[in-house]
Order: sequence, then structure tokens, then C-alpha cells
Amino acid sequence: MPTSSTTSAAWRRAEARLRAWFATLDRKPAAFQRAAWKAWAEGRNGLIHAPTGTGKTLAAVGGPLIDAVLNPARGLQLLWITPLRSLATDTAQHLTTAVEAMELPWRVLRRTGDSSSAERARLRRGDCELLVTTPESLALLLSYPDVAERFRHLRGVVVDEWHELIGNKRGTLLQLGLSRLRGLKPELRVWGLSATLGNLDEAMQTLAGDGVLIGGSDNKKIQIQTALPDAGERFPWAGHLGLKQLACVLRAVLDVRSALVFANTRSQAELWHEALAAVWPEAPETLAVHHGSIDPKLRFAVEEGLRQGTLRCVVATSSLDLGVDFSSVDRVIQIGSPKGVARLLQRAGRSGHSPGLSSKILCVPTHLLELAEIAAARRALAAHHLEPRHPLRGCLDVLAQHMLTRALGGGFHADQAYTEVRSTRAYAQLPRAQFDAVLAYLQHGGTALAGYPEYHKLQCDLDGHFYVESKRVARLHRLSIGTITADGSLQVRYMKGARLGAVEESFVSRLRPGDRFLFAGKHLELVRVRDMTAYVRQASNRQGGVPRWMGGRMPLSNELSTELRRTLADADAPEAEMRALHPLLAIQRAQSRLPDVDEVLIERTHTRDGEHLFVYPFAGRLAHEGLAAVLGYRLAQIAKADYGYAVNDYGLAITARKLPALDAETMRQLLHPWGLRRDIRASINLTELARRQFREVARVAGLVFNGYPGQDKTLRQLQVSSGLLFDVLRQHDPEHPLLWQAEREVLDQQLDYPRLRDCLIRIARGKILYVEPPRLTPLSFPLWVERLRGGVHADDWKSRVERMTTTLEAAAGR
Amino acid sequence: MNELRIRIAGEMLTLHSQRALFWSRKRILFVADTHFGKGAVLRRAGMAVPTGQTLADLIRLDALIAHYQPTRLIVLGDLVHGVTPADTAWIGQVNVWRQRHAMVEMSLIAGNHDRHFNACELGFDVIEHQLKLESFTLRHAPCSIADSYVLAGHVHPGVAIKDGWRRHRLPAFRFGRGCGLLPAFGALTGLHQVPVEPGEKVVAITPDGLIELPMRMD
Repeated sequence: MPTSSTTSAAWRRAEARLRAWFATLDRKPAAFQRAAWKAWAEGRNGLIHAPTGTGKTLAAVGGPLIDAVLNPARGLQLLWITPLRSLATDTAQHLTTAVEAMELPWRVLRRTGDSSSAERARLRRGDCELLVTTPESLALLLSYPDVAERFRHLRGVVVDEWHELIGNKRGTLLQLGLSRLRGLKPELRVWGLSATLGNLDEAMQTLAGDGVLIGGSDNKKIQIQTALPDAGERFPWAGHLGLKQLACVLRAVLDVRSALVFANTRSQAELWHEALAAVWPEAPETLAVHHGSIDPKLRFAVEEGLRQGTLRCVVATSSLDLGVDFSSVDRVIQIGSPKGVARLLQRAGRSGHSPGLSSKILCVPTHLLELAEIAAARRALAAHHLEPRHPLRGCLDVLAQHMLTRALGGGFHADQAYTEVRSTRAYAQLPRAQFDAVLAYLQHGGTALAGYPEYHKLQCDLDGHFYVESKRVARLHRLSIGTITADGSLQVRYMKGARLGAVEESFVSRLRPGDRFLFAGKHLELVRVRDMTAYVRQASNRQGGVPRWMGGRMPLSNELSTELRRTLADADAPEAEMRALHPLLAIQRAQSRLPDVDEVLIERTHTRDGEHLFVYPFAGRLAHEGLAAVLGYRLAQIAKADYGYAVNDYGLAITARKLPALDAETMRQLLHPWGLRRDIRASINLTELARRQFREVARVAGLVFNGYPGQDKTLRQLQVSSGLLFDVLRQHDPEHPLLWQAEREVLDQQLDYPRLRDCLIRIARGKILYVEPPRLTPLSFPLWVERLRGGVHADDWKSRVERMTTTLEAAAGR
Repeated sequence: MNELRIRIAGEMLTLHSQRALFWSRKRILFVADTHFGKGAVLRRAGMAVPTGQTLADLIRLDALIAHYQPTRLIVLGDLVHGVTPADTAWIGQVNVWRQRHAMVEMSLIAGNHDRHFNACELGFDVIEHQLKLESFTLRHAPCSIADSYVLAGHVHPGVAIKDGWRRHRLPAFRFGRGCGLLPAFGALTGLHQVPVEPGEKVVAITPDGLIELPMRMD
């Protein structure tokens, strides 16, 4: 139901109210904001993209507010979806201010995993017009039978930070939730807010279907500076911590009033925080650390400190990339390569928010070759080559979760639900057979062949209406909605009760009571582990490890690596970074070659460890891992041996006691894309990888029930390891849809199969430089120091046992 | 290697890779944490687990009984996982299996899971708390007792072994100074990994037999 024409007097009067409020803040609505209000009034959907802090929120909410002035109504009018719980409070406050300025009688409410019961009760009574919530809490709302009643008055949905959701399963879950809402309210308007992406059109179509793309002021200048190593200084050829530049970073931080130091991994952030703390000349409370595993309350305190200007420096990971709203800091420092152009842009945007000021970011290389990455990032940014984030397709685990939600929220008929699901981008090509397989899983447990008595998750009556009968199933499902984000982690808590955050189970399992570790910027001592919680106390002295989190390291993006190949090949690159890198590249040229854009360099060297083959496709560590396995497997076809491999973002290394004779032509055949899929299957123990991936799939699909702190005993009885289930399913029900999903995720996500295939096609079309340098080169050295990631060899349990026994004995004899 | 003979508290014990322990002088077969019927409990809660796990476990027990010809089977607690209706398939299967071995005396040291279910109905004589047998004390939950070596279950012990770039998590027998732990017998049971204590003897169970971990005095 579009608002009365935007040229009408009433509309202009309502808009004037909003403009008047802008005027009291000494601002004028930007062109993109007015365009968004108008598009809303015309009943359209769309996506607003602009850097953080340019007024996207008001662009999106303006339309609904004007609409509400013109057509006042009670009951839930607008849903505001935000990716982070911690953002909800902030956003709700921000929106309340706007609502009050418009003198609307709207009540703004928040519904997230940590809402109070009073808030929940108000929501149940329908006591709000604007609801701020997360994708998971929306799914939860959709799981109640009165869902149609709850959303009866809903006019629109705004999805904040859509770029954070689009590429993952939470984005898929949200698409499904929106398809359900559209099914209830066909005239629903859907808007998204996003940072700049390489595929904005796709991002918009995924969220809003047919809509308009509205861009904010994009003319903000970004200056990328680099902490160049001093001339004559010995700078490392490899490494990823970069603490050598501590003095330089400290100077840069103290130079300004407030600074953000971005690290690429959580452990890197912890170590940098510790290093800075050790030399910090100011009051200790003016320095803080912020990353995704730290408890939301503590993170919020840090964000609040940034907002109020009490903090001078925060060491953070991408957890602060998310639109946490604070007026900008004076300086942003990036430790190590940002690994992606969009990420660099977003981080730089944290400084110099005020109009007219340019954003500045200081990049601190952790090893020499990163200088080239920084120069390449600057070039890519100038050419506006940003990374796309593609939505996931056809995730059967998320679909299973949604279909159960759908059954709880009023039930469904298969045909109608299939049509609704296919209306989303994520499932537009979902074959009916797969949809039915998911329903069969929910109804019978798996394919019809294997027996699953006593299993009654989903029932179907004679009319073909699907519903859930068991109260227990309903309760467990509602408890497990939202576990997409949770990983197998343990809470970290003080003995007295204060929560510090979460670390991975695998890290804690290596610790014994009394062991020390660094977390949330504090030195802690493990006291005991109980009920999914690691109890700690403050440690008296500083020692011990830093938790390692899985999936910490992002691969170098395709856009950046393409630019990097060009930059490295560019002999007269004018950038200061490239000039600083010149001596190193000269060594590389002298000892080996420096590949041109259409060339791929292959080096063969021997060291005391054996013989090494180095290949540099510059395709990111994930694709390299798949390629390394395939190459190892293909080498084994030529000469049987044990081949170990290591990877980094530039290339891969194959290590063996003895390598067969090779030349450029043999290498071309070994790297040929033909038969890639088959060889991946043969070379990588897909089963073992899928078994690990199955953990997440099983959790999302509700196959296993995740324990959580403070759970009652009857729930603990339901714990079973997903690995065991994986084995049981493979044995009894090999066609199970969730097994298929796990294997697909391994190929597409863990091994980045599409990029691997593209990379091999590029190599096949290009030229191969095969060199046998006498010693390690600047390019091969970092790979040589990487630890071995995998290998190809005879791999039955008998030989494993023999191998392990020998190594164990060697270790014991030491 | 499917069997390993070790001396504990002065007695020769045989460890079997099917997660069982045989005391040959007394002809007693020990297993722990069978968790019969766990699949059914999970299915009733809406978790898709195919049937057949309990039956498979019973067949493994059949093979062990045929191999060792014990006069007595002692289960160190958690014989069953939880309550299911009397007509659930696994209860019938256990009953048939029990009758097949009518000549074998079967005892259960009651564990925390067993309080929901009367194992006497399955033909087991149920011993609360613990049972002292010569130099051993048999219990469900481990503890240390002066002048007696404790054999227990409950923990589902496992070890992680580094193998090049990989780590294998394996079920294990663990024998400390005063207490030995049996791995969980049931196929649908998980592992609890605890760091190896100095002086502890650990025997890991791989799909291809037992390996004894060398002692490390750190």
C-alpha cells in the first residue's frame, strides 16, 4: 500500500517535520536519504549502500516514519533486523530518537537472545510498533502458531548491515524468514543497508528482489599510508605478528587523541594488546582489546568507551568492522595485510567521519612481501575493485531448520511451502527431490530405507498438512534456533561469576587446571572446567599461551591477489612500498624469476628437510590447500612417495624426500584442470573433512542438540557427538541429505573449489616458468617456514599406527 | 594387535580392542558404559539417529563372550542410557541376548544413568555403589581407595595423538596408580579427553587394534 503521492501536500508536510529535526542537529538531509524516503513512499524495495556513519539508518527509517505520520496505526509496523545482538540496543536508541523527533506515538522494542522477560511479554501482547531484532530472533518469532496475528500490521522490514549477512548461513536463514513474511503480507516492503560491495546488484536482488539501489556519498578520500621499514633495517621475510613495528605503532597511537589498531586474528589482537600494554605510558584503562570471542558486555563497555572518548586506543579484529556506531577515531592502524579491498575500505572508514575530512589508515606490514599487498590494495581501491559477497545456495541444513520453524508457526502444505522457499535467491534452483529429502529427514529421520522408529519431529495429516505434535520437539527446536553463530566453544568466567567470553573447546582441552593463558587482555589461570564453562582466576604473573581460534585467517581475496600479481610484475611501480621492496625483488629476480601477470612461477629447491616444489598461483590459502593435495596426488602417480604440503596466500610447497624429475611441460600436465574434481576426491580424505564440517551442519539442521551452560540434566542426556552420528549415518543411511550438505560445504567453502578451478584454468592458458634455484628465494622462504598442513600417502590405520608408534617412541626417548 | 596383556595390582589382565577387559584367572569379562537404548532416547527427542546401535553392541558382546567364555560379565555402570517405553525394540533385543547367555552371570555396578531403569528386569543383578573383588574395587565413578585398586567407567576416557599434521582422538584404557578406567563400550558414546598424568599407562584403541602409549615422565 504505497503512501499517498510524494508530491502531495501531506507528504511534503510530513517530510518537512523530518527536515526540521535535521535542522536542529545542524544537518541537511543528503540526496541519497531523500531518494530513499521517496522510494519507500512509492512502495518500492531497495538497498542503500554508503560508508558507515553517513546516515544510512536515517535514510532507511525516514520513509516509514513519514508513512506513519500520514497513516497512523497501532501494532507492529516495522521490523529492523540487525546482525549483532550488541548492536540492537544501540540501534534501538538511535531509532527512538528519530521516532520522538517525528512526534510519533511509536513504541520501540528490542527482541534478541538477551531480552528481558518483560520485553518479551510486551512483544507477545503486541505492545510495539518498531521491533529491533536479529535473524535468529525473527526465526524464533516465526515459530509460534499465532505468527499471522503478530505480523498482521507489518508494513516493512529493514535489514541493517546486510553485507555481514549475505554471504553466510544467517543470511540464508533471513531470506527464508523474509519469504515467510512476504507469504503473510505480500505488499511488504523490504530494504537493506550495506557497506560497499563488489556485487551490490546481486546483494539487492537477494534481499529485496526487484528494487532500487541507492548510493550514499562515496566521494570520501582514503589515504593508505605504510609504516615502511627503515632503510638498512633487517626486516623479516616471513611472519605474521609484526611486533617488530611496535615502537612505530606506539608513536602513531600516541600522536593522536584516539586510535584503532586492527589485527587480522583474535590471537594477533590479544598479543598486540599485551605488547602495547607493556609499553603503554598512559593510564592502563585507556587501552582496550575487542574481538568476537569476548563477552558482549565487555565488548559493549569498550564500544561505550570509544563513544565517550575515554579510550585512547583499542586493539580490535573484524568485530569492530560491524557498524558499531561511534564517532570516528583520529587514526586507524592495520596490522598485516587486510587481505581484502572492501575490508580495508571499511576499516579506513573508521577514521575521519566528519564531512570533508579524508580517512587515513596506516598499514603495518608483518613481513616484507606484505608491502606489495598494501600497494596492490591501494591500486585496487583506486580502480574500485571491491570483493563481491555471494549468497550461499541451497543449504539443506538451514532449510531443515526453517521447515521445522514453519511447521511450528502454523504448519504448511508441501507444494505451497516449496513455492515459497523457491522464491528466495538461496533456493531458487532447489530441486523438488532435495526439498522432499529434507521433509523426509524431518518426518522420518532420514531416507525411508533406514529405520528411525520413535522419531517424530514432523507429522503430516491426511490432507498433507505438516505440523509438529510433540511439545518436547517444539521446545528443543526453539532452544536451538540461533545456534548458527555458536561454535563448539566454552564460556570463560571468573570464579565469582563475571563472564569474559568464549574460547574454543580444543584450546581448553589442552589446558590443565593451573595453566595460564592470555584472554580478553587479561592473564588468567584455569581453575576448572564444568558445564561448558572454563572457570578462571586472575593469574599473578605473565606467562602462558594465547587461545587459537579456528578459521581465524582470511584468505587473500581474489580482487586483491589479481592486483598483487600485477603490482609485483610491474617493474617500475612508483609506490614507496614497492621501492622499499625493490632489493628483495632484485634477489628474487637474480636467484629465480618474478612472474609476469600471465605467468605462473614454479621453483624446485632442496634443503636439509628434503626436496621442495614451490608453486605460486596467488589464489589464496584455501584454494592452495586443495591444489596442494591434488598436486601431491598427481605426483604420487608419477613416483610413489610421501608428499607433505604447506600453503600460504601466495602459493604452496610440496615436500618429499625425493621428487621425480620435472620440467615445465610435466608441470603443465600436473596442474591441468582436467579431472580436477575426481582428483580432489581421490587426494583429500573428503570423508574426514566432511566429518568435521558435519558438526555445524548437524547443529543447524537440529540433528544434534547443543548443550549450553546451565542446562538441566534431562538435556544433557541428549548430547551425542556429531562425529559419531556422521559415522552412523554413513553406515546406515549414506543417502542422507545432511551428509551431502557437509561434503558440498567442504568442497565449496573449505577448499574454495570454484576459485581453485579458475586458477587452474588460468595456469593452463598462461605460461609456466620452471626454475631450479640453488637455495630458497624470497617467495619460497615464507612457505618453507609454514608448518606442514597435510599430505598424501598410504593411509590405512595399520600404517598410521606404525608411524605413530615410532614417533611416540622417539618423543619418549628424548 | 587386538589384545594386550598387562599386569595391574599383581594380576594379569587382558585388554581387548573391542573396549573390554578380561580377568582370565577369575574368568570375568568387564565392560563399562554400554548405554543401551541411547539411539531410542535421542530419536524420541527428535534427533535423527538410525536404529541398530544397541543390536550392534550386543553382537560385539556376543563375540567377546564366545572368545573368552567368561563365567561372569560385569558392567561398570551406565548399562542403559535412559527411559523408553517397555515396547521399545532394544529392550526386547537385550532380553533375547540375555537369554542366549543364561549360563553367564551378569552384574551391573549401578551408574548415574541406571537410576532411571531397573536393570534386574534385564536379568542383571544390580550392585549399588561398589563391589570389592580380591585386590580390585569395582565402581562406576572413579575414586581412590586405600589398599585396593579401583576399576571404573563413567569417564569415557580418550586420548589425542598427534600424527604429523593431524590429531586423532581415540578411546583409551587408562591405568593410574590406584585407579584404572575402561573406555565406554557403547557405539554411540563420546569421548572425554583428559591430559595424561605422569606415570599413567595409556592404551589407545585404533580401528586397527591397540597401541600402548609410551610412558612420559614429565
